[in-house]
Amino acid sequence: MIWATRRHVHIDRTACAWLIRRFVDPAAEFVFVDDPDDVPAEATPFDMRGVELGHRDGRCSFETILVQYELDDPALERIGHLVHEADIGDERYDAPEAAGIDALLRGLALTAHDDQHMLSQTAPLYDALYGLWSRG
Amino acid sequence: MLLAYRLPRTPSTPRITLWRKLRRMGVVQIAEGVVALPATADTREQLEWLADDVVQAGGEATIWLAEPTTAAEHRRLAAAMTGRIDEEYRSITAEAHAAMRHSATERRRTLARLRRELRRVAAREYFSTDQADVAREAVEALANAVAAEAAA
Repeated sequence: MIWATRRHVHIDRTACAWLIRRFVDPAAEFVFVDDPDDVPAEATPFDMRGVELGHRDGRCSFETILVQYELDDPALERIGHLVHEADIGDERYDAPEAAGIDALLRGLALTAHDDQHMLSQTAPLYDALYGLWSRG
Repeated sequence: MLLAYRLPRTPSTPRITLWRKLRRMGVVQIAEGVVALPATADTREQLEWLADDVVQAGGEATIWLAEPTTAAEHRRLAAAMTGRIDEEYRSITAEAHAAMRHSATERRRTLARLRRELRRVAAREYFSTDQADVAREAVEALANAVAAEAAA
């Protein structure tokens, strides 16, 4: 499947892409657009205004995908809290790692060639958190 | 960047939630239902999500890239944003100074809270202000006092 989101990905979009590829669609291909009108007809949009997989009911897009695809996994839920705090920062959750991940992503964005590169560079971070938090 | 919005009078919960979020972002209110923020990729994204919230609550919202026509108006807007931030930094400085006279336990607790406050205020500091450094130094002085006590 093809998935589409906005250009210049940061925390929520990199985490969503990781989640989609690992748990929803292993063959996922990602395209990045400037304007919602540029989303290809066959693509599923995420983390964009007015789409189903966006911010909903106080949730960030990552959390929305967890709900929509019924991904019931405590480690993913905890990553969801981290993404929520790094993205929205409303102190709904206690996620002290959020500030660290935000800094890492800002640093990676300085040298990333493009959004695809950003996805490949950030995936190991989410893999690591998932591995750590799956151990309980 | 401007967010122009209109929300139904009732229910009042979405209005209150929206206003709380806008305040946390440090907006300046231009008129009833019109708020301004400096335009960055980040503020734009946040305002877009808020606009979605408004639409979902049965209201209307549009986002505009706007420029005041005079430099004076521009300065006035920036001053309004900075003025409020300065006030918040001043209150942190005052609390940090006051905590120096309190008990060790109280000092540690206040330090943790003021550090959180600093991060919150810094997130909506769009124009840098000297009061930020003053507040940071005051909180660091408090941290040094707490550390010295722990070592003693």
